[in-house]
Amino acid sequence: MHLQRKIISVATSIIEKAVEECLEKNFLDSMGIADLGCSSGPNSLMVISDIIDTVYATSNRKGIPLPELRVSLNDLPGNDFNNIFISLPEFYSQLKMEKNIGPEGCFISGVPGSFYGRLFPKKSLHFIHSSSSLHWLSQVPRLLDSNILKPLNKGNIYISKTSPGSVLDAYLSQFKRDFSVFLKSRSEEMVVDGHMVLSFMGRVSTDPSSEESCMQWELLAQALMSMALEGLIEEEKIDSFNAPYYAPSAQEVRSVVEEEGSFTINCLEAFEIEWDGGAPSNNNFQKHIDKIEKDNFSRGQQVAKTIRAVVESMLEVHFGRKIIDELFKRYAQVVGDYFSRTSAKNIDLVISLTKKG
Amino acid sequence: MGIADLGCSSGPNSLMVISDIIDTVYATSNRKGIPLPELRVSLNDLPGNDFNNIFISLPEFYSQLKMEKNIGPEGCFISGVPGSFYGRLFPKKSLHFIHSSSSLHWLSQVPRLLDSNILKPLNKGNIYISKTSPGSVLDAYLSQFKRDFSVFLKSRSEEMVVDGHMVLSFMGRVSTDPSSEESCMQWELLAQALMSMALEGLIEEEKIDSFNAPYYAPSAQEVRSVVEEEGSFTINCLEAFEIEWDGGAPSNNNFQKHIDKIEKDNFSRGQQVAKTIRAVVESMLEVHFGRKIIDELFKRYAQVVGDYFSRTSAKNIDLVISLTKKG
Repeated sequence: MHLQRKIISVATSIIEKAVEECLEKNFLDSMGIADLGCSSGPNSLMVISDIIDTVYATSNRKGIPLPELRVSLNDLPGNDFNNIFISLPEFYSQLKMEKNIGPEGCFISGVPGSFYGRLFPKKSLHFIHSSSSLHWLSQVPRLLDSNILKPLNKGNIYISKTSPGSVLDAYLSQFKRDFSVFLKSRSEEMVVDGHMVLSFMGRVSTDPSSEESCMQWELLAQALMSMALEGLIEEEKIDSFNAPYYAPSAQEVRSVVEEEGSFTINCLEAFEIEWDGGAPSNNNFQKHIDKIEKDNFSRGQQVAKTIRAVVESMLEVHFGRKIIDELFKRYAQVVGDYFSRTSAKNIDLVISLTKKG
Repeated sequence: MGIADLGCSSGPNSLMVISDIIDTVYATSNRKGIPLPELRVSLNDLPGNDFNNIFISLPEFYSQLKMEKNIGPEGCFISGVPGSFYGRLFPKKSLHFIHSSSSLHWLSQVPRLLDSNILKPLNKGNIYISKTSPGSVLDAYLSQFKRDFSVFLKSRSEEMVVDGHMVLSFMGRVSTDPSSEESCMQWELLAQALMSMALEGLIEEEKIDSFNAPYYAPSAQEVRSVVEEEGSFTINCLEAFEIEWDGGAPSNNNFQKHIDKIEKDNFSRGQQVAKTIRAVVESMLEVHFGRKIIDELFKRYAQVVGDYFSRTSAKNIDLVISLTKKG
């Protein structure tokens, strides 16, 4: 997916710097590398490929032998790992051909499980990467999940301007709890001075209901509501659905890291990413070209397709399969319409951390 | 503790071995009054194996570990390692125990001599070693086995710690004759089923002549000699077990034998064997013969196997070898 690839690439220079720092500190005989939330499809091996490239280039530059590479690809047990594994023989061939890394030099495995908890043996990892995954909470915030009969967030499926304070608190609490567990688990799995680069949706505003972090859900709620008005969906179902998602502010992230205490923050940056993956251009001519090439309608289609791939199964569970096609048809329309009124951007937070001694 | 199961396959058996191994580590640690080591478990099979099917069962597996043995998420880590075991799969000196079952009789490829002589097939009318196979075919198979099994042992020796253990189980034979019934008959009967279809013009006979199974059932002596030559392992034991083709072990009890025979007539036993073999060889046959003939082939195969059961008790030899990595 174009958007995911774009998100991975903005973090590339931060990843490269982190890998280099990792190799500066210790002479490594064997290096543990993990990608958390690796997903499936063509992007899944792209990150690993970039990381290996960086380790290779850095080792060459320093005139040291390449460490043995122990690579783990993690995602939930229901992820399509078969699809990644089928590509591995070719991946290994390319490693051999391009870098003379033989089968004794790089070992890639699949590790199914939730990263809200331990996944790896203690002190086994030197470098961890995660992209487009940590905005997904371990569950719908507890308060919202347990109040099905008296829905707290009526008419919304995420934080919205009309959400009561209790909803905002519930989401923030769930994020703090989840992200702390994430950091604690990783700290047990990493060696001292190991590096971690995480990239996920966030916001710059202090207001959790700001457009930059909520609008995609807002528009999806609008599409659902339009179907409820026509009797195609029960409104109660919309009231009782809340996305297990949170886009934190840089400050919220920083404060959980500092409180958990195992990591120092090397850098924490926010990047603007357009909803369909094009980065805003500084060049006015390029902007003009971009707009000609992609009209709002097809951009709306593209975003709907991307979002659908990610949220379809959770919506299906709650609303049933029958309404999905119509829902995303309408969603594509409201998104296209939104594009015509404003430039639709998300904030992608990228944080680089080092495990303390 | 690094534990690996090579050729783990998919489905309900895949976690069974690991479960038994963990049970044993747990029981032994308890008995000795020592803490359970951190368990690093790797499940290996070829990249085309259905790993998703195993992974989906892991949450429940972990729950049971927690419930039955109080082994939490920090105590056991299970991963999938796709790749061929004829080569390196794991970081050096990372494994303490390796298991492999029903996988090592599969060669890395069809024996080179047979694969390169497509135009002048050496093993006409056969799809494996047979009474009518020329000596060159027997030699080609034995060579391929020696080459593959050596590479296997060498790779594992680099991955294992000193005094690490390995238990391997695979089809073999007790006879010195590689074309003995105990190791060849299942392929022989499959060839018969193919031939009957060739006689009716449903399959080209050339296709049968050019197909050779990438399989070898070694004798205990052949296994021993590769292990000794490769030199990294001592043999703790090497045993041969008789296994009936449909999985019933021969019984010593005459009454039980009588019951067994009443319960399973030859026809349904033939069906059962055909089903098992089909699951294993279907894809390689499809590649060579095409999909269309597969159903009819296994229908006929079930019949010839059922007929064979009526004439003799059909058994395989399962070799089990336990090895220790030398210092």
